Amino acid sequence: MVEMIKEGKIGMLEAYALVTVIIITKVFYTFPLASIKQTGTAAWYSTLISCACAIAFFVLVYLLLKRFPQKDLYQVFEAVLGQKIGRFLVLVFSVYFLYYAGINLSEFVNILKIYCMPLTPQEVLVAGFLIVTAAMAYVGLEGISRVAYILFYLIIAGLVLILLLAIPFYDFHYLKPWFGYGLGVTVKEGILRTSSYDTVIILAIIANSLQGLKNLKRVGLACLLTAGAVFSICLACVLAAFQYTAGGEYISGMNHLSRIIYYSRFFQRVEAIFVFVWVFASVIAVSATFYIALSSYCRVFNITNHRPLLMPFLFLTFAFSSLPKNMAEIIDIYVRFIRGYSLFLIVLAPVLVLLIAMLMGKRGGKASETQ
Amino acid sequence: MKLNKRTFLIKSVALLFICCLALSGCYDAKEIDQEVYALVIGVDKGTGNMIRVTFQVSTYKEGEGGDSGDSDKSSGELSGTVISTVEATSLIESINMLNSASNRQISLSQAKMVVFSEEYAREGVGRYIEPLTRYREVGDLMRVLVCRGRAEDYIMENKSLIGRSLSKDIELSFLQAANTGYYPDVFLNEFYVKLSSPYAQTIATYTAINDFDVLPEDSTEQNTVQPLPDLQPGEIPRKGGNKREMLGTVVFNGDKMVGYLNQNETRFYLLATGKFKRGLFTIDDPKSPGDYIVLNVTAHGVPKVTATFENGVPHIKLKMLIDIEIAAIQNRENYYLNPAAYVELEKYIETYFSSGILDVIEKTQKEWNSDIFEFGKYIAGNFRTIQEFERYGWREHYREAKVEIELNANISRAGYYYHPRPIRSDK
Repeated sequence: MVEMIKEGKIGMLEAYALVTVIIITKVFYTFPLASIKQTGTAAWYSTLISCACAIAFFVLVYLLLKRFPQKDLYQVFEAVLGQKIGRFLVLVFSVYFLYYAGINLSEFVNILKIYCMPLTPQEVLVAGFLIVTAAMAYVGLEGISRVAYILFYLIIAGLVLILLLAIPFYDFHYLKPWFGYGLGVTVKEGILRTSSYDTVIILAIIANSLQGLKNLKRVGLACLLTAGAVFSICLACVLAAFQYTAGGEYISGMNHLSRIIYYSRFFQRVEAIFVFVWVFASVIAVSATFYIALSSYCRVFNITNHRPLLMPFLFLTFAFSSLPKNMAEIIDIYVRFIRGYSLFLIVLAPVLVLLIAMLMGKRGGKASETQ
Repeated sequence: MKLNKRTFLIKSVALLFICCLALSGCYDAKEIDQEVYALVIGVDKGTGNMIRVTFQVSTYKEGEGGDSGDSDKSSGELSGTVISTVEATSLIESINMLNSASNRQISLSQAKMVVFSEEYAREGVGRYIEPLTRYREVGDLMRVLVCRGRAEDYIMENKSLIGRSLSKDIELSFLQAANTGYYPDVFLNEFYVKLSSPYAQTIATYTAINDFDVLPEDSTEQNTVQPLPDLQPGEIPRKGGNKREMLGTVVFNGDKMVGYLNQNETRFYLLATGKFKRGLFTIDDPKSPGDYIVLNVTAHGVPKVTATFENGVPHIKLKMLIDIEIAAIQNRENYYLNPAAYVELEKYIETYFSSGILDVIEKTQKEWNSDIFEFGKYIAGNFRTIQEFERYGWREHYREAKVEIELNANISRAGYYYHPRPIRSDK
């Protein structure tokens, strides 16, 4: 059986805050650019198609966990696929989350260099960020989720503030033509971009730290609905402010939205609000996914204490963040993989495991069975 | 022992955290004093393929911006600012070149406006707008202007006569756009977005220097005064005050200037696009030739626009409501006591505004084929996909559009007087 690090328990709101922040952080990066480039004026509802697919996926994950009470996703993998294949799959997940953390970090640092700190060497920014990540991963899941819970309100408030302040610059006629580049393209991209929501699977990975399966279902659905609403509204606002032509050009559409806010000569140039919100969200997202990668690895090899592995994993994250040579590679290759194609791993794996479990009639024991 | 080690570890981690906060930003840290901030950027044609870029930067001396009469043409000092011109291949390169002659780095982060000479605007400004919008330092809230004559000459007369701060002076002058409606307030971001927009064409503010030689010396020189003279910036008959004048709208087709709207046409344009806030209009009195009625017009919301296709021809309908307050009636006619005259005046005003707006739309269609009214965004609703809309090419079809206007004017107030008496004169 996969041994667990003692992660403690986290509350419903903490779990909701943590996973929601992990999912919505990408709206501050190149997510609007990629969505608008692919789907044009239909970006705002293409993401709702992704959200619906993600909800369907999450329901399947919930059904899988329901078959195996008091087991989290990794334990279910082992129970259904056997020890070797199950642990191999967990190792693949660990590598994926490490890659996710590294590429997100690279994206964050590059955008930071473009918008705020052009002269600072990338390595210095990455190293500074990783020191914070290390500190958060050191304290573990409980610490990260509590930080997420506190900063969640600030992040949402900052985001809402930017969207509200930019209202005079919106013209929702720019959302026409309504079908973007065609309904076929919109639906196809909508389904592929379910990958943008697939980090909701973290709830299934930390299921034993939550307060029961019912809470897991509620938290998961709440996270997905919140993220869907945030993405849809942000994309609609970016389209309304910049049209699909310029909206598909700006590296960070949300940053540019904060730059055009102007009420008088006393109330302008408020993009500093955005930087705070963005950095808070990024720190939580990268730290949480880094921790998940680390704890997944520990569970494969029955390591009960994750702290000695912090340095090697930080080094690997640094390596992943150094993989992309430039911004174009980040957007068109690495991030495209995470937000466009990762569903073939993250979504497909649990769904296949569920199918196998159903076909082979495998079920978990009753609630009294220990981990 | 264990507790001590743990405490030591926690404290070390906390200390590292704090160090990170202190160290971030060191490379990019700059003292305010290390930089000098360009307030105005001017772009003129240079020799060959070069451009001439003029920067007006604020100095940190006392009396900055106020017209103390201090100017030194050789060093470019003008009332607390320094004006430098350099010829270069590109705008960003020009900053680089000037930095070699300056003890402080020139920063564009506080630039309030970019001024293109008309000669340059007619050749195309796209290649110089793009670096400005791509460059990190430049704010999206910089204004875009086109000036008659050379931008360098315009900037040489750009000084603040009231107050010490030139940047405040520039900012306040753009607020006048909302008070008069004589020129639009165009931000760099809006200008750039419309350059590549399939929905509309872009505009800029028209500006020039007034040398105060337009005001006629002898009042008997002109027999009749036109209530709506077609004025270009720099031609307002006035004396004294700031020489800088903004009046009218520059119309672009793509990135090239193709024409301009005068101050009255600009107000009709702003009314039709929902950007007009308030302003005074002087119209002929229909009952008393030679006398005028001055109207204080406030737009009532944004016009409702519907766009459809009938037999392949785009049909656009505008529905608008304006609120009128009569500011002056020179012949002191009492419209309130005569409902028929009141209604007739409202109809006259409606006809005046409708025909004014239609004339401006027709001008942009026939002379320039430039949809500055953004009707394209309403037309786009008739297409299902972006490919269909782009294949149709609305910007090329704009001249074919048939436009109708339904304008309602509501005279809600007539100033202080309800029942003005005729002026008595004893014989």
